[in-house]
Order: sequence, then C-alpha cells, then structure tokens
Amino acid sequence: MQSIERTLSNLAKVLLPVLAFGLVVGCTTPKAKAPAGKSTTAAAPQGATLWAQNCGFCHNSRSPDSLGNAQWDVVTVHMRLRANLTADDARQISAFLRSSH
Amino acid sequence: MNPRSLTAVSACVLSLATGGALLAQSADDKDTITVPKREFQQLLEEHRQMMQEMKALKAQIGKTATLEKSVADNDTAIEDLEKQIKETKQIAKDAAQGSTKFHLGGYGSATYTAQDNGGANGFAATFNPIFLWKINDKVFFEGEAEFELGGTETSTALEMAHISYIANDYLTVSAGKFLNPANYFVERQHMAWVNKLPDKPLAVYDGLMPETEVGFQARGAVPVGPFKIGYAAYVANAPQLKTDLSSPADLGSLEYNNFDNVGRHISTGGRVGIHLLPEFEIGYGAQYADVAPVGYGHSVKSFLQSVDASYVRDSIALKGVLNAKVQWVWSHIDRFDYDPAGGLGDGFDRAMKRNGGYAQIAYRPTHCDMAFVKNVEFVFRYDLIQQANTPVGVDERRSTVGLDYWIGPSTVVKTAYEFDHQSGANASRHNTLLIQLATGF
Ligand code: HEC
Repeated sequence: MQSIERTLSNLAKVLLPVLAFGLVVGCTTPKAKAPAGKSTTAAAPQGATLWAQNCGFCHNSRSPDSLGNAQWDVVTVHMRLRANLTADDARQISAFLRSSH
Repeated sequence: MNPRSLTAVSACVLSLATGGALLAQSADDKDTITVPKREFQQLLEEHRQMMQEMKALKAQIGKTATLEKSVADNDTAIEDLEKQIKETKQIAKDAAQGSTKFHLGGYGSATYTAQDNGGANGFAATFNPIFLWKINDKVFFEGEAEFELGGTETSTALEMAHISYIANDYLTVSAGKFLNPANYFVERQHMAWVNKLPDKPLAVYDGLMPETEVGFQARGAVPVGPFKIGYAAYVANAPQLKTDLSSPADLGSLEYNNFDNVGRHISTGGRVGIHLLPEFEIGYGAQYADVAPVGYGHSVKSFLQSVDASYVRDSIALKGVLNAKVQWVWSHIDRFDYDPAGGLGDGFDRAMKRNGGYAQIAYRPTHCDMAFVKNVEFVFRYDLIQQANTPVGVDERRSTVGLDYWIGPSTVVKTAYEFDHQSGANASRHNTLLIQLATGF
C-alpha cells in the first residue's frame, strides 16, 4: 500500500505540472469568443448583464435552460438571500431567466 | 414576374415581331397597310399561339403564387407550433416537481486521500441534499442534511434549517440553524461543487470560526451609488469554551456545536461586504461572545474576526476566467486558568490567540477553442493556521496545486497535491494526494 501511495504521489508531482504546461501551450488559438449571447438577451438586457456579472461570481453559472421557471423562481430567491443580491438585481435576473428559455 | 409585367412584355414582343414587317409598308402609305394574306394569317396564327402561351404562363404564375402563400402559411404554422411546444415543455417542466415552488438541490462527492508519513489513506463520500421551498413571495425555507461516509462510519447531521421572512427590498429576517454569514468561505465556497480543491482551507473551515449558528439573523443588500453593500447580522447560541482536562490539546478552543446553549451565553456577529466592482468584493466579519464556563464568576470574552476578498474576472485578453480569493481569520479568547491545580504543568493560564487563512488563485481558459482545454482549471492555494502557542502546539502551512476537469457547470473531477509544512511541539508533517469527484444538482 505504501508503495502505491508513493507511486501515486510521485506520479502526481510529475504529471500535474507537465499536464498543466501542455494544456497552456496547447491552447494557442487566440480566437476569443464573447459569451454565447442568446437572442433573448434583448428581452431583458439589463437582467442578462446582471446575470453574467453575478451568477458566475461564486460558482460556474448554469445554463438558463437547465431549470424551468418555477425552479428558477425558487433558486433566485435562494441566491438573493445567500449572495446578498439587491432585490432589484434579483428581479431583473429573474426576468432574464424567464425570457431565455 | 407578375402577370401585369408579363402582359407588357408580351405586348412588346408582339409589336416587335409585327413591327419589322410593317415598317416597309409604313414608308409608302401612312394610313393603310397592305399585307399579303398568307403573311397576315401567319401573323394571326403566331398571335393566337402567343396568347395561349401567355394564358398558360399566367396560370402557372397563379399556381406559384398560391404555392408561395401556402409555404408562408406553413412557416407561420410551424412557428406557432414551435411556440406551443415550448410553452407545453415549460408547463411540463414546471409541473414536473410538484407544486411549482419547491426545489431539491444539493451536492455529493467522493474523495480519495493518500497521505505520506503514515497519514490517512482511503475513500470518503458525502451527500448533502438541500430542500428549498418558496412558501410565498415573503417566506422561504431552506434545509440541508449531511450524510458523510468516512472510514467505517456514516455520520448524519442537520447542516442547516431556517425559515426566512423577506420584510422588504433591504431586509430579510430568518430563524433556525444557518451557515455562519461572518465566515465567507463557509457560507459561499465550501460546497464540494463550488470549492475548487478537494479539501478545505485551514483555519477558516473546521477551524477558528463556527460553520453554523443557531439563532436569528437579519440580512440584506443596499445599492449605494455605484457600489453594492451586503450585510448580515445575527444573534445566536454562543460557543462553549473547552475546559475538559482529559483532552489537554483541546483546552482553550471553542466547541461551536453548542445547541443546548450550555452557559446560556449569546453571541452576536455578522459581516459587511462591498462590491467595489462587479468582479471584486471585500468583506469583514466578526463574532463576539462571552464564553465563560457555567458558574465561573467573570466573563471570558471571545472575539473572532475575518477579512475576505474575492476577485473573479472573465477576460478575453486572458482567454479565460481568473478567480482569486483570500480570507484571514483571527481568534482571541480572554485569559482563563484551565488548570488551576497545575497538574498539566505550565502554560494553561493564559489568553488564546490563533490566526490563519488562505489565498487561492484559479484560472480556467474558457475562451480557448479546444473543448477539452476550456474545461480544465488550474488551482493554487496557500493556507495556514498558527496555533503553536496554544495547547494544540502546531503551526501548519500548506501549498496545494490542483488540476480540475469540469464535466459540466457543477460536475468536476479534482486532483490536487498538497505540500505540508508543520512546526511546533506537536508537529507531524504529511503531504497529501487528493482526487475527488463532485457534483451539485
Ligand atoms: C455569493 C456567492 C454566490 C452568488 C453570487 C451566486 N451563488 Fe448560486 N450558489 C452559491 C452557493 C454557496 C450555493 C450552494 C448552496 C448550498 O449548497 O447551500 C449556490 C447554489 C446555486 C444553485 C443550486 C441550487 C441551489 O439553489 O442551491 C443554483 C442553480 C445557483 N446557485 C444559481 C445561481 C444564480 C442564478 C445566481 C445569480 C443570481 C447565483 N447562483 C449567484 C453561491 C452563490
């Protein structure tokens, strides 16, 4: 068991930096894309910006498609309370989420 | 071509055809034209044929127009249908989880840990379902259970359960068991799918500040000019000072799970956070409580503080998202004589001071075109806890490199290697390899 451990940790020590380096170098295509804008952002433009600014601050943001309106209603309140979002921002984000699927 | 322009064109063609023949005549006689009978009949025949062709063409055009119209009608019908399908889908989605205002969320994780120097080794798993219920526009319930399997034991806990009343745009009050809002990492970062490394930083988690509180809380957010200020303030059961001589290393630390409120003390605390920019927030949190043991004549004050800063920037220039976080906590407990009889030797009649925290930086090349690369995140964290001058007798510092692969926005495979350094009377150093699969739902 000890030797497996040692092998694993040595492997990690070597592999992690190598992999990291390889990935950084591998990503050479400089074509930068703007975040995928949906046609529906037009319906709640301010909400879309606020969603982009707020909802990826603590964790990766999930696609507006991943939940239905009723679920987003609950989650938006949860996040408003947890993240201390202003009520107004929460309302606009909610309108954006409703309009985008 | 529409029928009217076709008539005009065919009239032109006709006049051109006849025109050539007539031109010679018109030079001789301006009023009457003499055409040989055969030629006239031929022209008449040609004219008849043209009229027939034109009729056929007109009919054809009519048909095409009807066809075009029906295609357009079909398009609108398809659009309508799509709209209806979308609406139906939405209704189905909304109805799928019962009465519209309930959401089951949460997270789970499986972790493999291998430490050197004879340290811990093995698998552990956690499952934390979260029940969210929007009772109406003003009332919200949040409850979380925690199931943890480590070694041979499964532990179950009520991580939190509190009910909130949204009084107005700026104030929400809640009561119950809630995550400690003064502790940034605990309230906003510790969940397995949010935390970018498989384990939690020293000092801030399971360390110098409580993870949960049982009591009342008021919180909210106020926009002030270009800034957004969030606040939380609470009163809760105070922690309990550990004074049990049978575990000397614990003397002078705090038991946070003081649900019975032994000592009947109340702690007050909170946090204020300011978003100076949408991508930058700083915060200060603190908790104050008297933690004197029952029957002790004086007060023994504990004062816990935390500062935090968080910067998250999605940058085209950097081709990805840069995420930096720091948090530092201090714990001060007034002087107290833990061993009045002196059986444990010197050093147990004193104030307890500890501190520690972490700094973490992560980068994910989300704007890279290679699908595989944009799911990879590099993480580096430095964390420490300083308590060598307490009965614990250890200062610990760790440097951790991590590499994550995001399978989805909330599903991740994390690998990390932790370089450990310890000093103090009870130091025992362990480097650690960690592999974790985590998902939030
Ligand atoms: C201050 C940090 C923070 C911000 C900002 C934030 N979240 Fe969260 N979010 C969390 C945390 C922490 C959890 C995990 C909650 C738990 O497990 O107790 C979470 C959980 C979630 C979940 C899982 C379901 C749930 O409610 O637990 C969804 C979906 C979600 N957030 C969406 C959003 C959206 C949409 C926004 C923008 C309005 C947002 N988040 C902004 C911290 C944040």
